[in-house]
Amino acid sequence: MVNAFAYVPAVVLLPFFSFLIALGAGRYLPKGGAFGGITATAGSLLLSLWVAAAVAGGGEYNETIYTWAGGEQFELTFGLLIDPLSALMLVIVSLVAVLVHVFSLGYMNDEGETGLPRYYAGLGLFTASMLGFVVADNLLMAFMFFELVGLCSYLLIGFHFREPGPPSAAKKAFLVTRFGDYFFLVGVVAVFATFGTAAFAGEGSFPALAAAALPPDGSVDVWTPGGLDVGTWFTVIGLLVLGGVIGKSAQFPLHTWLPDAMEGPTPVSALIHAATMVAAGVYLVARMYGFYTLSPTALAVIAFIGGFTALFAATMGVVKDELKQVLAYSTISQYGYMMLALGAGGYVAAVFHLTTHAFFKALLFLGAGSVIIAMHHNEDMWDMGGLKSRMPVTYYTFLAGSLALAGIFPFAGFWSKDEILYEALVHAPGEPLLFGGYLMGLLAVPVTAFYTFRMVFLTFHGEPRTETARDPEPVRWNVKGPLTVLGSLAVVTGLINMVPVKTVFELKGIDYLHRWLNNEWGGIEGLSSHHYADIGPYSSQPIVGGEVGTVLAGAAVSLGLALAGLGLAWQLYGGASPAEHTAKLGGIKDVLYNNYYLDELQVWLAYRTEDVAGVADVFDQGIIDGVVNGVSSVSLAGGGRIRLIQTGLVSQYAGMITLGLIALLVILSVGGGWFL
Amino acid sequence: MVPPQWYLFLAAAVFCIGLFGILTRRDALYFLMSVELMMNAANINFVAFAFYYGDLTGQVFALFVIALAAAEVAIGIGIILVLYRNFGEIDVTVPTEMRW
Repeated sequence: MVNAFAYVPAVVLLPFFSFLIALGAGRYLPKGGAFGGITATAGSLLLSLWVAAAVAGGGEYNETIYTWAGGEQFELTFGLLIDPLSALMLVIVSLVAVLVHVFSLGYMNDEGETGLPRYYAGLGLFTASMLGFVVADNLLMAFMFFELVGLCSYLLIGFHFREPGPPSAAKKAFLVTRFGDYFFLVGVVAVFATFGTAAFAGEGSFPALAAAALPPDGSVDVWTPGGLDVGTWFTVIGLLVLGGVIGKSAQFPLHTWLPDAMEGPTPVSALIHAATMVAAGVYLVARMYGFYTLSPTALAVIAFIGGFTALFAATMGVVKDELKQVLAYSTISQYGYMMLALGAGGYVAAVFHLTTHAFFKALLFLGAGSVIIAMHHNEDMWDMGGLKSRMPVTYYTFLAGSLALAGIFPFAGFWSKDEILYEALVHAPGEPLLFGGYLMGLLAVPVTAFYTFRMVFLTFHGEPRTETARDPEPVRWNVKGPLTVLGSLAVVTGLINMVPVKTVFELKGIDYLHRWLNNEWGGIEGLSSHHYADIGPYSSQPIVGGEVGTVLAGAAVSLGLALAGLGLAWQLYGGASPAEHTAKLGGIKDVLYNNYYLDELQVWLAYRTEDVAGVADVFDQGIIDGVVNGVSSVSLAGGGRIRLIQTGLVSQYAGMITLGLIALLVILSVGGGWFL
Repeated sequence: MVPPQWYLFLAAAVFCIGLFGILTRRDALYFLMSVELMMNAANINFVAFAFYYGDLTGQVFALFVIALAAAEVAIGIGIILVLYRNFGEIDVTVPTEMRW
C-alpha cells in the first residue's frame, strides 16, 4: 500500500499552487480562478481524509524534512508531525476551506465583485499556510505559519481596500495580533535557549525535556535565566507563548480586532475568523499541551482568561444590531470556552469544541452571508424579519447552527460545551481561578442562547420590516450546498463524543474522540490525552451523586440555562414586530454597545506609549538606518571619485592598459625571480 | 640558421612601434594600422616558435590570427565611418560621450 504520509506535503502545497495560479493567471481563468481553489482544497481534503485513515490504521509520522539552518547548539528545521490531533485538524481545515471556496462562487462571483483573482489567491495562500501550521512539527515553524495566516487575514480583511473601513480594520487586526505575537516570538527564543530544540514530539522534544527537568525527576539540566526556579521559568515561557495565542484566538484583552475584522467578505469571516485561523491559538496550546500541563499556574491563567472572555464577549453580543457583529462576539466567546477547557485539563473537550465550533460557526457565517446576499448587503437585523418563509434552506441550516451554538440538546454544541463545563467543574475544587472560570463559563451559557436566538428571531421571524426583506434576492446552489453540508454536520458532529451518554448508560466505546485522541488507533507516544492527564496537576472529583450524578446535574444545569436564555429571547423578540428592548438597558447598553470602551482604552494606551515609540523610532531611523545609509553613502562617494578616471578618451584607456600590463609584468617577473 | 632571439627582438620592436602609435596618434586610421602592427608582432612570435620547435600548430594559429585581423579591420573601418558621419572628423580625442 502506498504510504499516505508521503503525501502530507501535497496537502499543504496544493492550495499553495492554487494561490500561484490565481495570482498569475486568475484574470484569464473563468470565475477568477475559483475552480483552481476548489480543486486544490478538495484535493487537500481527500488527502487529509486519507492521512486520517492512515492514522486510524495505527500510523504516525514525525519527520524533519528540511534543515534550513544548523548549528552546534540547535538546528532550525521544517518538519511534519501527523498524529490524531493534527490529522483531525487537517480534515476540519480543508473541509471548511472547500465549502468556503464553493460558497464564494455565490457570494463573490455572482455578486459581480471585482478583483476576484486577488481574493482567490488570498484564500489559497491562507489555506496553505493554515495547513502548514497544522502539520508543523516544531514551535518555530508553527510561528512562521502563524505569521503567514495573520498576513493572509490582513490581506483578506482589507479586500475592499477602496472603502475606508476595511483597510483600517485590516491594519488593526494585523497590529493587535502582532502585539501578541511579539510575546510568542520571545517565547520561541526562550524555548530554544532553554531546551535547544523546539520539536513538539519525540524523545528530545521540549515538552519531554521539560517534564524530565522538573523537580521530582530532574534528570535533565536546562538553562534558566539568572538561576530562576525551573517551574517558574516554564510558567513564564508558557505565558509568553500564550501571548500569541491570546492575540490570534481573540481572547481578552486582545480580542478587539475580531469584530472589526468583519469588514472582510463574509466567506473570509467564515473561513478565517470563525473556523480556522482563530482556532490556531487554541490548536497551538493543544499542540504543546504536554508543556502547559507542567505549569499549574499557566493552566489556571488560561482557564480564567478563557472563562472571562466567554462571558465578557457574550454580554457584548447581546446588544449588537448587525448580524456579523453578533457572530463575531459569539466566536470570541466560544474560543473562550475552548481556552477554559484547556486550562481546566479538558484537552479532549477543547478539541471537541474546536471541531464542533468550526462546523457550526462556519455554518452560521455562511448563513449570514446568504442573508446578506438576499438583503443586498444590508447587515442590520432591524431591517430584516420574516425571512423564514422566503429562504427556507438558509433558515433551517442557520437554525441548526444556532441550536448548536446555544448548546441545545442534541445538537453538536451541546455535547462539546457540556463536556467543557463538566471538566471545569470536576477539576475546580481547590482551584479558585478555575472555579471562577467555570462560573463565568456557566453564566455565559444563557447569555449565548439569548443573543443567538435574538439574532434568529430578528432575522427570520416576525413580519418583514423593510422592502428588501419582503422580496429578498434568491441564492443559488453554490450557497445552499455548503450550508446543507455544514448544517448536517452541526446536527451530527456531537455523536463523535457522547461522553454523558457513555457515562450514564455505561455504553463503552462510544466516546470516539476520546479514544481517537488517546491514541487508541494510533499516534505518537507522549502526545495522548491520558499522558496529559497523568502529568497534569488536576485530580477530578465528582461534585454530587458520583460521576453519573455530576454528569447529569451538569448537563441539566447547562441545558436549563440555555433553554432559559432561549425562552427569554423568544419572549422579547419572538413577536411579529419586536421592539428594541436593549434601549431599556440605558447606560449599560451604551457601555456594551461600545465594547466596554476597550477600543478607546487601547487608543489611549497607544498615545501614552508614544514616547517609547518615539525613542524606538529615533533608534531605528538614526542607528539602524544610519548604519545602512552610511555604508551606502561611502560606496556612493567613493564611486563618485573613482568614476572620474573614465574620461572617454580612447588613448588614455590604451595608456592605462599598457601601464597595467607593465605593472603586471614587473610584479610577475620580480615574483618569478627574474631579476635576482 | 637565424637564432630565435632575433625573431623575438624583431617582434618586440614591431609591437612597441604599434603601441607607440596607439598611445600618441589621434587619427583613428593610424590606430587601426598600429593595432595591425601589434597583431603581426604576435604572429612573428607564433611562427618563430613554431619553426624553432618544429611544430606546425603555431603556424596554423598565425593563419587564424591573420583571418581575425582581416575581420577586425572590417569592423574598425566601419567604426571609423560612423565616427566620421557623427563628428565630421576621425580624431579619437573628440568623441568623449562614453564616460560618466
